[in-house]
Amino acid sequence: MKVTWLRLLLMFFLLVFLQVWICDRIHILGYATPYIYIYFLIKLPIDTNKNLVLFLSFIMGMVIDLFNYSLGINILASIIAGFSRFYLLKLSTTRDVFESATPGFATFGKSLFLRYASCLVFLHHLVLFTVEAFSAFDLLRIIFSLVGSFILTMTIIFAFESINTEVSKR
Amino acid sequence: MRELLNFIQKNIYWLHFILLIIISGLLIVSNNQFQRSKYLYVVNEIAGRVYSVTSNIKSYIGLRDANADLLERISQLEESVCSYKNRLELLGDSYADARNLQLNPSVDFIPGRVTYNTYTKSENYVLINKGSKSGIKQDMGVVSPRGIVGVIMNVSDNYSLAISVLNSKFQLSCKIKDKNYFGPLVWDSKDYQYTYLENLPRHAELLSGDTIITSGYSAFFPEGLPVGVIEGVYKQKDDNYNRAKIKLFTDFSALSNVLVIDNYWREEQVELLKDINN
Repeated sequence: MKVTWLRLLLMFFLLVFLQVWICDRIHILGYATPYIYIYFLIKLPIDTNKNLVLFLSFIMGMVIDLFNYSLGINILASIIAGFSRFYLLKLSTTRDVFESATPGFATFGKSLFLRYASCLVFLHHLVLFTVEAFSAFDLLRIIFSLVGSFILTMTIIFAFESINTEVSKR
Repeated sequence: MRELLNFIQKNIYWLHFILLIIISGLLIVSNNQFQRSKYLYVVNEIAGRVYSVTSNIKSYIGLRDANADLLERISQLEESVCSYKNRLELLGDSYADARNLQLNPSVDFIPGRVTYNTYTKSENYVLINKGSKSGIKQDMGVVSPRGIVGVIMNVSDNYSLAISVLNSKFQLSCKIKDKNYFGPLVWDSKDYQYTYLENLPRHAELLSGDTIITSGYSAFFPEGLPVGVIEGVYKQKDDNYNRAKIKLFTDFSALSNVLVIDNYWREEQVELLKDINN
């Protein structure tokens, strides 16, 4: 139990640094930016207290907002993702998944995990880009950024997950 | 009472969620200058330290380009110094008098380096590694060796945050070199290379390739700093004015060295403008 939380803490910092130092500087064609910090919410153990998940997503959003010089946008997106996580998990888990398991390829199976992760990521990106665009509304731009960023984020999450399962197999 | 407690206990998840939504919603909506400045003071110091690590590394990588830019700027300045000298020589006798005049410089430049910079959002900011300890104050202009960058919005001890030209909230009065038509410079939040000069009179003859410079009407920048060149002229929606598409001289995707302009008459100008606005 303790080891899991230590690992999660490490992952929190790692993801924040990756997001702030690398991912925020990626703008493919001026549209697509990966938001990988959401991977933290995806990887929380299934039986984590619902309120704790909300709180953690709030903290995560706040830290990212701080480095982005934005106020509240990332918080809003990540708490909505954190909130819907509970319901998405209900939809995605089959009976043979342990209650205390961590979502991943190994526990969920590839297709189920990808479905769960992509729902969460899409929801997060949708909120993020619509709220961000309030000051200058441009539907085409929102759609391009949303689709581009979604693909990028999912690719990175897929890569992380593949590495993760390879390492744990050994 | 018990029912209320029961209700809360049952729906604590929803209530918690709604509370957090309200908090973040308030943060987004109450995003005004006053609250922002207090928040930014803290953020500047924290984020500045974190970002300066990468910017230190990046500045070495970009040294070649930075040097080329600086050399070009030096050659331009040398040229203008030479031309002024020649003009003074032509004036003959009064040249000697002019040389002996002790003129106070009206502007001072504080060099700084960019530690953080965005250019793809609709509201972009530039973080600079000099703060109030180096004499930087709010409302000072920021220029790169090629052209203008923005205006200082918030200052902490060691860092300062400038609102970029690439910000939908930013407006600056600019004019066309040698023609004196002026208008506000506005960004449409789309391409980081282009911005627009608006409210130009319809009769004004504007050509692609005309240079845009700062007008000096605002206290941020002195007159005549380079901004960009006209790429095309379009009718504005309300049809009484033209708007010009401008290619910015400053390359925001590779911004490293900047100068912060301390205009000695800035406070006086701001004071005067206040009277007009009230």
